[in-house]
Amino acid sequence: MSETSLTYEFQYSSAQHQAETAVSGMWLFLATEVLFFGALFLAWIYARHWNQAGFDMGAQQTSFVIGTANTVILITSSFVYSAGIAFITAGNSRRLIQFCVIAWLLGAAFLVLKFGIEWRDDFARHLFPGASFSIQGPLRSGAESFFVLYFFGTAIHGLHMVIGLALVSWIILRASRHDFSASYFTPPLVVGLYWSFVDMVWLILYPLIYLVGRGP
Amino acid sequence: MMERLRQLMLTWILLILLLALEIGVSLLPLGRSARPLVLVPAVLMVAAVGMVFMEAGRGPEIVRLFAGASLLWLAILLGLGSLDPLTRAIYYVHPAAPNDALMSVAQ
Repeated sequence: MSETSLTYEFQYSSAQHQAETAVSGMWLFLATEVLFFGALFLAWIYARHWNQAGFDMGAQQTSFVIGTANTVILITSSFVYSAGIAFITAGNSRRLIQFCVIAWLLGAAFLVLKFGIEWRDDFARHLFPGASFSIQGPLRSGAESFFVLYFFGTAIHGLHMVIGLALVSWIILRASRHDFSASYFTPPLVVGLYWSFVDMVWLILYPLIYLVGRGP
Repeated sequence: MMERLRQLMLTWILLILLLALEIGVSLLPLGRSARPLVLVPAVLMVAAVGMVFMEAGRGPEIVRLFAGASLLWLAILLGLGSLDPLTRAIYYVHPAAPNDALMSVAQ
């Protein structure tokens, strides 16, 4: 661990106080994120309520297999990252790096499946709302509403994933410089909160996109 | 540390089981209006991630204040926001009715 790790800024009474402030600050930021995504969920309630048949028709065009695989991937990524935190609390920096790399790879796999395969297939099937939208007839407007929310919601979530991957990369870099130890691991802890939150958002988006509109 | 790893592993298994339950519920022959019930296992999954992976129950008190406040404001946003679409009564007007009335007046 570097000598400067346990120092703290003048406004804090101790290194622990500084660490608790960092963790609390991330939770406050995540509280604002809850309201940010809350608006998206409210839009989903509105859009589906006024045209349930068309909206559900849109949901039935999504890839259930990719959506479910991505859910398992994100759950596992969050679990692996949390395990890495457990290792650094015992002073095992090497395991933290290894688990962060696995969590990063799982996050990257999510993005490849979502944007490299699923989105590409959606565009090829003309499911992006607009003049060439492939669903016609009375259900078109509801299906288009669904895909507006689908593309917007998954794009915003994807952006959060990209930011999360950048943060995990930063943790890997710092851990490889031996910046963290059993007595100083605030940055991995704070990034872990963000990474699990992005997982949380997907756990709500997944049923909204892939399950609610897909009946037997 | 081993106890923490065990806790994390059990939570991961729980999350996978809840995902399976969620998919199972989505296969039930529910009406369109009842289909949002599929979200119940998802909410449990979010709670599990928050309590175990993010350790919302530990740390300074203010963490729980921020987490609780975010849920309260989310409930207000979704509750008041969806009040109108979920309670508004819609009365459909037959388009032929006004024309018929006009025709009778003209005659």
